[in-house]
Amino acid sequence: MPGEHTVKPQPRLTLQGQLGELARVWPWIEALASEYSIPAGTQFAIQLCLEEALSNIVRHGQSDQPITVDCARSAANRELMFTLEDHGPAFDPLAPSEFEKTPAPTSIDQLQVGGQGIRLMRRFAGSLAYQRLPGGNRLTIGFALPR
Amino acid sequence: MQISTEELDGGITKVVLDGRMDIAGAQAVDLKMNLAAGSSKKLLIDLQKVSFLGSMGLGSIVRPARAVNSRGGKVVLFAPTEMVESVLKTAGIDSLLPIHHDLAAAIAALQ
Repeated sequence: MPGEHTVKPQPRLTLQGQLGELARVWPWIEALASEYSIPAGTQFAIQLCLEEALSNIVRHGQSDQPITVDCARSAANRELMFTLEDHGPAFDPLAPSEFEKTPAPTSIDQLQVGGQGIRLMRRFAGSLAYQRLPGGNRLTIGFALPR
Repeated sequence: MQISTEELDGGITKVVLDGRMDIAGAQAVDLKMNLAAGSSKKLLIDLQKVSFLGSMGLGSIVRPARAVNSRGGKVVLFAPTEMVESVLKTAGIDSLLPIHHDLAAAIAALQ
């Protein structure tokens, strides 16, 4: 039967703390998208939020410590939840930043590219939550699933 | 990620981007984007075939645009997909660089 031997995607992706490792995220999301029938727009949003969150973690963390990304349905099956955990120093990407207080740029010269990541996550994620762990950080990002 | 350039009438350089402008994609096009920006004062960045744009990819558009702008030139963005345009708008780029979905209008904006 078609699909009989389809391999289910692993619910956990473990990455080393290097930017090059982020290339492994998209194939994983594509496999999850097939498993959970995720629409293209939501796949885009997931990739965007995971890339922004993980690149932040890599920049602020330690390269010799693994980062885990777990994927699971929420209890009510309404959201696909991604839980990112690292062992780096305390870093809350959702905390208000100076970047968010700066007035909107009036020319391309004034536009700051750094700092756009959290703005994009707030726009494209369904839900965002941060929790400080003993010796690490946990960021949970949710996306609405189609009904 | 692929990048190609085409010289149009009126001294316009059309830069065609094709693929995913994630971290790896941004790194792949940065050098050629900067070369195009350094040699043209009218840059049309064709985003029709860009299927993904993250903040690193935004940098690959913003930095060359700054370079062209600093020499008194103009940059327009052409035909982004709905999701890519949403990223551009969230970052506020749509108010700084014109976005056109009609090629004639994009070219006219550079004259």
